[in-house]
Amino acid sequence: MSGYVKYFRKKIIWFLITFFAAVLLNFILPRLMPGDPVAVITARSAQGMSEASAVKEMYDNYAEQFGVNKPMYVQFFTYFGNALTGDLGLSFSQYPREVSDIIGSAIWWTVGLQLPAIIVGWFIGNILGALAAYIRKGFDKVLLPVALFLSSIPAFGMAVILLVIFALKLEMAPTSGGYAFDMLPHFSWDFVRSIIRHYQLPFWSIVIFAIGGQAIGMRSMSIYELNADYVKYSRFLGIKDRKIVGYVFRNAMLPQITGLALSLGSMIGGALVAEIIFSYPGLGTTLLSAVTTSDYPLLSATTLIITIMVLVTTFTLDIVYGFVDPRVKAAQFDE
Amino acid sequence: MKKMRILKVVTALVLAFTLILAGCSSKDSTDTTTDTDTTQTDTTIDDDTDMDEDADEGGVEGTLPRDKTLYFAGLQWGAINGWNPLSDDMNNALLITQTAAGTRVPMFETLYMFNFLDGSMQPLLADGDFEWNADRTSVTVKLKDAAKWSDGTPITAEDVVYTFDTIVKIGNGQGNSLKPYIESVEAQDNKTVVVNAKLTDDGIAENTLMVEQYLSTTYVLQKAWIETVEERAGGDPVAMKQDPGEDVVYSGAYGPYFANDQRVVVVRNEDYWGQDESMWGSLPQPTYLAHTIYVDNAAGEVAFKAGEVDVCQQFIPNIQDLWLKDNLPISTYLEEEPYGITGQLPTAWYNLDVPALQNVAVRKAIALAVDYDAIISNAMTNQSPTFDAVPRSVMNPTEAEQSMYRQEDVADLQWAGNDIDGANALLDEAGIIDTDGDGIRELDGEKLSFNATCPNGWTDWMAAIEMVAAAGEKIGIEITSEFPEWSVYQTVVTAASQDQYDIFMMWTDGSAPTQPWARVRQLMSSEYNGIEGNWSGNWGHYANDRIDEIIQAIPKETDMNTLQDLYTEAVEIYLTEVPSFTLMYRPNNFHAVNESVWTGYPEDGDGKNIPPNVMVDGYSIAGLYELSLVQ
Repeated sequence: MSGYVKYFRKKIIWFLITFFAAVLLNFILPRLMPGDPVAVITARSAQGMSEASAVKEMYDNYAEQFGVNKPMYVQFFTYFGNALTGDLGLSFSQYPREVSDIIGSAIWWTVGLQLPAIIVGWFIGNILGALAAYIRKGFDKVLLPVALFLSSIPAFGMAVILLVIFALKLEMAPTSGGYAFDMLPHFSWDFVRSIIRHYQLPFWSIVIFAIGGQAIGMRSMSIYELNADYVKYSRFLGIKDRKIVGYVFRNAMLPQITGLALSLGSMIGGALVAEIIFSYPGLGTTLLSAVTTSDYPLLSATTLIITIMVLVTTFTLDIVYGFVDPRVKAAQFDE
Repeated sequence: MKKMRILKVVTALVLAFTLILAGCSSKDSTDTTTDTDTTQTDTTIDDDTDMDEDADEGGVEGTLPRDKTLYFAGLQWGAINGWNPLSDDMNNALLITQTAAGTRVPMFETLYMFNFLDGSMQPLLADGDFEWNADRTSVTVKLKDAAKWSDGTPITAEDVVYTFDTIVKIGNGQGNSLKPYIESVEAQDNKTVVVNAKLTDDGIAENTLMVEQYLSTTYVLQKAWIETVEERAGGDPVAMKQDPGEDVVYSGAYGPYFANDQRVVVVRNEDYWGQDESMWGSLPQPTYLAHTIYVDNAAGEVAFKAGEVDVCQQFIPNIQDLWLKDNLPISTYLEEEPYGITGQLPTAWYNLDVPALQNVAVRKAIALAVDYDAIISNAMTNQSPTFDAVPRSVMNPTEAEQSMYRQEDVADLQWAGNDIDGANALLDEAGIIDTDGDGIRELDGEKLSFNATCPNGWTDWMAAIEMVAAAGEKIGIEITSEFPEWSVYQTVVTAASQDQYDIFMMWTDGSAPTQPWARVRQLMSSEYNGIEGNWSGNWGHYANDRIDEIIQAIPKETDMNTLQDLYTEAVEIYLTEVPSFTLMYRPNNFHAVNESVWTGYPEDGDGKNIPPNVMVDGYSIAGLYELSLVQ
């Protein structure tokens, strides 16, 4: 049991070090971008004002409120201390709105879109990949090139193709938004139907893209496993095909699970393309506008969420692997 | 057999896939995978009004009835932060904007509404015209008896006074910019307000134009409500400006209804005071004003074409194609080019800190050589008059401003562009020639080489900058175009001194009660030199004593002849010295309308004198009372 404790302790220490380094980078990197965000806010309020001294006064007020006139290290520790208590500060570009409020209202759209899409894409892709490896022949000959084609189209390309065909040409789907332009959020079947209609294109643009990559990965892993000695030996022993397939897929699945965990961790960054092309609400568009407006607090908070999600999923994977994968167990616990 | 079974599974999966995809077209489809997404975003701003009202008005609950709603695009980007007009940060562009160039009046109201078509001030909360006293040091304004707040209490002179005192005290944008010109606002009686101008040492008003601007740009707010906010904020100015004002009391025809990250909607106040005969005599036609928050111009344009937007404030290239080729029921104020009334002057500025650009011949030669017709036809797709039609000055093309100077006196100085021979001759004459045969002229031994910039993604401006660069090539001056991001660009341009951009673009203010004086000041006043974070003007750092004197003199002058003399002289100096040059004319607001649901929008020659200013800005709000349904 002490092996496990040692293994966990080591992982946790590394997790904390990585976390601190990531938070530091999250803080510093946006602030290294050229441009002055306080000037951007002032500009927004000051357009049409002819009094230079009035504008200057306004600029100084904002600089004071955001603390950007303080030394960088003071700003960092204030940020870090506040972040630990869940206070992510005020947004620059949407001042005086709180960053946590902006993220809170956007994140559900992203999770609602990405989580099912990634999982559905993962399942369909893996099933198709495994089947291609198992059936071979015609099925594989069709699936492999199709999967290669799908996975090599850039994500935005797929989204634009779907938009042009289904929304603009066939007019089967709406072009933008999360629900109909003449609706306000409320609970009714009409509203739910509207949500579903607007959901289709962004959802499938992610699913189709995911299917290709997953199918290719699963197919190669399965082919590799199908040729492994234990499969031949099992066949030789006369074990039923169904049983053997079970063994094979369980082994081929391991790297695919890692892939799933990582794509769940990075779903917010991945949401960007679908959200922008379909004008779909969510964190992707928030992230983009934070970049273009040099909104440090919003940018740091969004990247912090991505960092934490990736860290947590990889950490969980490490821990789970410690239990389930005998190779990892052996390598780590014997040290 | 096993393979057959597997094939069946695959077929089933493909079928399921097709069915779900077909859900795109079927309104009745349900998709179990989407259940997680029904969690809609929180409404960031609570509304006071109950949405159930829809049901009473014949709409479906939660749906805005199309025939009662006027939809806008191109004004509101990003979610609003609240309804508090004391703040500069509500990002509530459809309802709260108080600038010289435009003040929105659907929810909060000013004393007067500016009409840029004729430069007039139409009374709103005020009763009749304002009156200057004999020595023009104070203005008296009467308030309408009928004027009431949304809570039913009358609007009094005390409200006007308290609003002014508060905005100065808390130092918001309005307060800070009026402070140097207005000494005080006093209540003479319950319904009479006196605005006292700040006086010079000689006892004359510092700037009468800025006093008049106050009358049409500053909202009047309820004293009782301001006191509530003060109490809530413990008197702290910053907290007062951050208050979202969810309980705000307003005087306009519309009040808060709904807002989240995707929408902002206001609903008509059925008890609006303005239906009194002393004002509009009726309620505005639409029950709701709604603005969907689009990600970008492209999304807004698609929605406009689809009839999901009625009034669109976006630049749409080749807008005439929408009715000529696509046969859509879309129109603009003018049926022919330039399709709208232009008010702003997007301008190329010379960085006068650069030694070679301190030479007037170089500045003038570049300005002469630029092909403005090409800019107007390509970048603006002819949505700007040419410089033949409206010769360049410091005035915008409206009659109100053109009448302020004597065009014939400066006709010789007004160039229409693409004059390569003239530009070459000017440079040759000044001894600026190519001595080393590389095709580029030299000045004081230095090759004439500049960069020309504007923010990345501002496509019409980028096209204009490319034309400036092309002009340089034709006259032996190397000009390379660069397009930095806006967040970087604006930091550089507004710096007290900069050595990064040689020729760069910035806007000038549109129509306002202070124009064209404010534009002369913005283009040439040396008061802005040396100021960090200068958002006000003269970004090229030009200095000329005579112009500074003219800028001081105009606001104190009332005689029309003398005013024309001063303005004509200002134009003469601008066109001779060329510290910057106008590249095109541009509307204050783009104003295109889709008449699939509503009709009766303001148009040229309808005899109503309502300016095309998106129906919410100043006197253009009169358009809301003229609308009718198509069916």
